Amino acid sequence: MPSDYIQLESQVLSLMHGQSVSEADFNACALEIYRFQRENNSPYENYCRHTGARMDLKNWREIPAVPQAVFKQFPLRAFPENLTVKTFRTSGTTGEGFGSHHFQSLRLYDEAILRGWDFFKLPLLPQIILTPSPSQSPNSSLSHMMGTLVARANNGIQHFCIDDSGSIQFDKIRALINEATEPLLLMGTALSFLHLFESGSPLPDLPKGSFAIQTGGYKGSGRDLTKASLYALFSKHLGLSPDAVINEYGMTELSSQFYTHGLGNPHEAPPWLRALVIDPEIGREVSLGDIGVLRIFDLANVGSVLAVQTRDLAIRRKTGFELIGRDPAALPRGCSRAADEMLSNTTVSP
Amino acid sequence: MKTREIAKAIALAAQKFPFLGEIKEQDLLDLVKWELGDEEILDGFRNYAGHMAMARGPASILHVISGNTPHAGLQSLMRGLLLKSHNFCKIPSAGLPEIGQFRDALPAALQSRVEISRELPDHWIGRSDAVIVFGDDETVAHFRRLTTKSAQRFVAHGHKVSLGIIFDDSGLESVSHAARDVSLFDQQGCLSPHVFYVNETEGLEARQYAAALALEMEKFNQTMQRSRISAGESSGISSLRSEYEFRAANGEGVQVWKSGQGTDWTVIFESAPAFTASCLNRVIFVKPLPATIAETLARVRQHLSTIAIWPATLEHAKAISELGATRICRIGRMQDPHFTWHQDGGQNLAPLVNWIDFENSPDASK
Repeated sequence: MPSDYIQLESQVLSLMHGQSVSEADFNACALEIYRFQRENNSPYENYCRHTGARMDLKNWREIPAVPQAVFKQFPLRAFPENLTVKTFRTSGTTGEGFGSHHFQSLRLYDEAILRGWDFFKLPLLPQIILTPSPSQSPNSSLSHMMGTLVARANNGIQHFCIDDSGSIQFDKIRALINEATEPLLLMGTALSFLHLFESGSPLPDLPKGSFAIQTGGYKGSGRDLTKASLYALFSKHLGLSPDAVINEYGMTELSSQFYTHGLGNPHEAPPWLRALVIDPEIGREVSLGDIGVLRIFDLANVGSVLAVQTRDLAIRRKTGFELIGRDPAALPRGCSRAADEMLSNTTVSP
Repeated sequence: MKTREIAKAIALAAQKFPFLGEIKEQDLLDLVKWELGDEEILDGFRNYAGHMAMARGPASILHVISGNTPHAGLQSLMRGLLLKSHNFCKIPSAGLPEIGQFRDALPAALQSRVEISRELPDHWIGRSDAVIVFGDDETVAHFRRLTTKSAQRFVAHGHKVSLGIIFDDSGLESVSHAARDVSLFDQQGCLSPHVFYVNETEGLEARQYAAALALEMEKFNQTMQRSRISAGESSGISSLRSEYEFRAANGEGVQVWKSGQGTDWTVIFESAPAFTASCLNRVIFVKPLPATIAETLARVRQHLSTIAIWPATLEHAKAISELGATRICRIGRMQDPHFTWHQDGGQNLAPLVNWIDFENSPDASK
């Protein structure tokens, strides 16, 4: 492994172990990673030169961000291909193919998952998981994350409840809840929870003190539900108040995660992760309370690109952002727009 | 009212909407004549194929109008009025003011034949003898399910895309017309181009055409600015630009031209010929015309509306008549279909009328 990678890795690891990261430390580390990535990731270097970005930037906010879609088209590695130990793929549809995020080491990745968990003081409980296990879905970053979280499960108790055909094991989940003598943590995508709620027969209420962590949207399902409506379903089917429901926002192209709990609270980042809400018309950060598109700077992305431009809309808040998601469906739908959707192969990663 | 009086009133009202193009009383009467055989055949028995016949429009028509452009909705309403129908206009929940403004421009006798609502009143479907739907697959399927009366006519105008082909234009004469086709209505309608294919000859390359188009897009933008777009639409454009700039930087046969400020317009040259759907709002692709254009367009064949060509010769029209498009026009006229056009390849009045034949031939009893 190149020594500069190892040096950056240990720099980020030490930032992850503090309770806060100063602006100066974040800036210095981000700019060092930026230089490293330009030197070692040639497609990114070509792009940076194309945009006219200087190598000696002064502020991390100026680092050119790579659109998520580019992960589908270019291998964004800051290391030689033969050193790849893991590749996570987005759940793309047909056509353009999948977005790929390559790693030469998962040390920072796994540490980001666990230190993020600790930073937000997320629950240490037995886990019921509504995603395929890492062995069932080795290229899914979400499954990997769930598997890694065994280190934060009470007594390492973790139950993956999706069978090999991809179906939710309803009976197993009911039995686990019925037999539970202590609080539980249910984790899954919004869509998997919807399937669970719509299974037909009622679910037992979770033991007092239980939580749910929910991530992602309703990608490719044709379903859409406001956050408030979804949280009402958590209350109805599992007896969980909104405050006991945590939302995780992450994506295959990143290494770290944002979290929020309940309704009306912004998503917040652990100290080594930052998001800017950008006005897409002028490319600058919006004012507090205004809507824009999320640009994310993840120091744990040392081996790929640290600045990622998403298509997700959000409102800038003092301590983070309020996620709106992909283009809200409030737009009028006409024939041309529908055609755009019909022909588009763009996908949102989990 | 007689058809002629209705046509006169519609033409007068349409004058207030320049984007509809010039619609004269006689254009409307011609439409009736072309489709039904006689311009007065909706007024009573007229000679028809050796006997007499009278055409009757539906008593009531429900027009489900989409929000992308008022153009299609107004044309549908004008046809409904010509057919002497009562017209229920379901407009998008976000509103479409032009429909109401058009109604206000009609004489009282016709105004009373137009009802407009953002929500669908319960009784409208049941009372409609014909349902005309503009919208995506989901909308069309939804209204098809609601249209349960066996006698109800159902006409669907689903999603469509359009494009242009420059066969020969070394003088770049078509470029300003192409910019107009892209810019009008901000590509919100089915007639707006997504891609211009350029036949690369000795005097013309697609990349050169794209550069010239960029200049004309800017000029057009100076005279008619794009409408406001949402943050989501804006983010779609800026993301697409960065994505293609990433590819351009990595030598992928791509080049991007864009407005100096904001996302006003974008021209993308791409050497790969595959049809690429634009994210709209003045984003246009320019590609070399492949020898196998029919293969290239096979994926969108069933969704093709208009192909604009330059020069607009009969020879070129014939050459592309099998690609699946239902309308071929000159570049620069994409947004101005003639009032008698066969929308989506079909007639507009004929499928809606019922006929009453009077077989008055003296030979009939023999």
